[in-house]
Amino acid sequence: MADTQKRITDIGPPDYKDFMSPAMKANYGKWKYHEIIRPGVMVHVSETGDKLFTVRAGGSRLMSIDKIRQFCDIADKFCDGYFRFTSRHNIEFMFTDESNIDPLIKAINDLGHPVGGTGNSISSIVHTQGWVHCHSAATDASGVVKAVMDDLIDHFKNMDLPGKLRIALACCLNMCGAVHCSDIAILGIHTKAPIVDNDTLPKMCEIPTVVASCPTAAIRPSTEDGKPGVEVIEENCMFCANCYTVCPSMPLNNADTDGISLWVGGKVSNARTEPTFSKLAVPFIPNNPPRWPEVTDTIRTMVEVWAQNARKFERMGEFIDRIGWPRFFEMTGIEFQKEHIDDFKYAGLSFKRSAHLSY
Amino acid sequence: MALKEHKTPLLDELEKGEWPSFVTEIKNCASKNEMSNDLLGLLEKSYRERIGFWKHGGIVGVMGYGGGVIGRYTQLPEEYPNIEHFHTMRVNQPSGWLYTSDALRKLCDIWEKHGSGLTNMHGSTGDIVFLGCTTDDLEPTFADLTEAGFDLGGSGSDVRTPSCCIGPARCEWACYDTLAVTYDFTMHYQDELHRPAFPYKWKFKMSGCPNDCVASVARADISIIGTWQDDIRIDQDSVGEYSDNGLDILRDVIMNCPGKCMEWDGKTLEIDNKTCRHCMHCINAMPKALRPGTDTGAVVLIGSKAPIVEGAIISSVLVPFWKPEPPYDDLKDLMDEIIDLWCEEGKARERIGEFIQRVGMGNFLDAIGLEPEPAMVAYPRDNPYVFYEDAEEE
Amino acid sequence: MPSVDEIADGMYKMVQDAQGQKKLKPTGLQKAMMEMYGVDKKTCKLAIRALVDNGRLVYSYFGGSFLELPPDGDK
Repeated sequence: MADTQKRITDIGPPDYKDFMSPAMKANYGKWKYHEIIRPGVMVHVSETGDKLFTVRAGGSRLMSIDKIRQFCDIADKFCDGYFRFTSRHNIEFMFTDESNIDPLIKAINDLGHPVGGTGNSISSIVHTQGWVHCHSAATDASGVVKAVMDDLIDHFKNMDLPGKLRIALACCLNMCGAVHCSDIAILGIHTKAPIVDNDTLPKMCEIPTVVASCPTAAIRPSTEDGKPGVEVIEENCMFCANCYTVCPSMPLNNADTDGISLWVGGKVSNARTEPTFSKLAVPFIPNNPPRWPEVTDTIRTMVEVWAQNARKFERMGEFIDRIGWPRFFEMTGIEFQKEHIDDFKYAGLSFKRSAHLSY
Repeated sequence: MALKEHKTPLLDELEKGEWPSFVTEIKNCASKNEMSNDLLGLLEKSYRERIGFWKHGGIVGVMGYGGGVIGRYTQLPEEYPNIEHFHTMRVNQPSGWLYTSDALRKLCDIWEKHGSGLTNMHGSTGDIVFLGCTTDDLEPTFADLTEAGFDLGGSGSDVRTPSCCIGPARCEWACYDTLAVTYDFTMHYQDELHRPAFPYKWKFKMSGCPNDCVASVARADISIIGTWQDDIRIDQDSVGEYSDNGLDILRDVIMNCPGKCMEWDGKTLEIDNKTCRHCMHCINAMPKALRPGTDTGAVVLIGSKAPIVEGAIISSVLVPFWKPEPPYDDLKDLMDEIIDLWCEEGKARERIGEFIQRVGMGNFLDAIGLEPEPAMVAYPRDNPYVFYEDAEEE
Repeated sequence: MPSVDEIADGMYKMVQDAQGQKKLKPTGLQKAMMEMYGVDKKTCKLAIRALVDNGRLVYSYFGGSFLELPPDGDK
């Protein structure tokens, strides 16, 4: 038995105060305003008159330790070793000497990373593990993100959009991350009910737990050749995979019927309008690796329709709210289908309950 | 020792294009690490067959902790023996994702010694994620991490690693000290973070202003969003400058105000702060001219979550205005009330938002001893199915 | 009032008896001990901590966190 006395536990993370640069410490809570000098470059000005420059590099989330070390080298050279990451996998370098801006951008670009993502632009795509590391993934994450960002990179490097564009990807309905409140959400979905493995199920899982895990009561206990198991009432299954999470004997990954759905018009910020969920735009696109062209094309179409027609500051959802959903489907050429109409709890709240229509 | 060569024609396609390529990152590690090398082969197979090959769960962790390690095994150990075990370790990030190069190099060295060399900077919840550790290497990795001053984050039915925006370290809109509150709460809940004892996960997210840069309102069980109670500070000369430089104050600022509380006569901007909704739009549009007030604090919201199990929820108001003052005992006491109730009455895999929907917000408030307030609802109920309680004799 | 060690033994026995039939959650063990012995939450927490710190029980995860006997069978 290991000697538990000597183990260090419950120390928590390092104190952030040890990781703040002298300029941050000196101006902590005293910042007065900021300006975006050019895409990816900000200056924060303090009440003391101090200025702190920030250069934001786009990151890939999945990174090798060598890449982290290369970023450390850049931070040592230009920022006395201090740098940070953002909530969207970007890397931010902060420094007080304005003349560092150009050489720093060059160093980041030389490493193969773009600078941008500030103001009215697209920022990096928040995403999940996908086929790289997840048991319930209905699509890959990093690959789809790479394909979409390759396609939209000009909107990362230039602030040429009407408002902010926040795209997020989750490879299944578990949604690690806040994809359900994004301007565009890319969501991996299964579309076939789990194939129950009743040989392994009684050994690995508790039948009452599996039955209770289903939000639509589509799972019931069964007996096969005198052995206990479960069965799935397929017409009640909406493929959420909650049963698979609690019981590995309920797999529902399927190469031919897994794919991607696209959602639009959500946001988390309170600016102008309240935080809101993304709504279904495209119910299903089959997985088409390595570059998912149908996904990137549809996203580009939605982004361009918005970019060309939205008013200044209007996010995707605010734009659609103004023009109306019929016009959104017309302008993007996306087909409106049965799946677009809600039939889960409180579904009626999303029906059009007035004569407020545009023709 | 020569590494087995995996051909990757499909993944190679993802090294093309301008956005930084995760394939290049995996290949970098694959050239010197057999786990990453097998991962590359497995991922190519996934791209070929359009499906993942992972199993999850089980008994895996560092001694004494129930959180921080996520068990992961490939379904194809014979073909890819080096990733038979490929567990995830979540390492608790510092508040605001602030680092020194020294600290990060230490983490890189630890991960080079014990694991695949692949990371996520960062996972969605906020942790530094180490991808791919064998069961045998978990304990030595943990020992080296704690030696370097780092600890594991949360996973499973526990307090998940809290995260926050950059806050007062670099943002003029930080209405409270998000970094300090996050660090304090993380330290306060160490036991609950490492030893899962809840019905399901519990997330704290701290955003310094209503722009909510950490998306707290969409995914945190407790969303703490900075705001202010007094008047927006105005520098009229700067407003004029924005106008002179081409910002259409009427159309782009005032017509976008949800509270319709602003007037602009071409010279002076007036704000009726009583109906200001603190949405941040005017401040975002003119950061040099407008600032939040000085009587700052936070609105505390409860209950957001992703769809699993009963549907997605956006957080709703629990405490309309909270004045954070260390050691934040008032909010921690309230959290204790809520968590105790949820542990007592909550069902397996039921988040607090779902719990509240099941028992009713009114009953929930009764149970935790909070008075109902109009700020908690968008509007009062519009159906007459009221569960009137028996009028008590006074 | 039973000691932390006695509560730990009580919890251990519950897990042992349920092994292979039902996975037990820390909250379930705690509730059972509070009902059976009238102990408080703190004692239960300390008991669980003692059980996992000395390796008699381990945490597992299947869509939720459970306490189980270690895989090699701790007798």
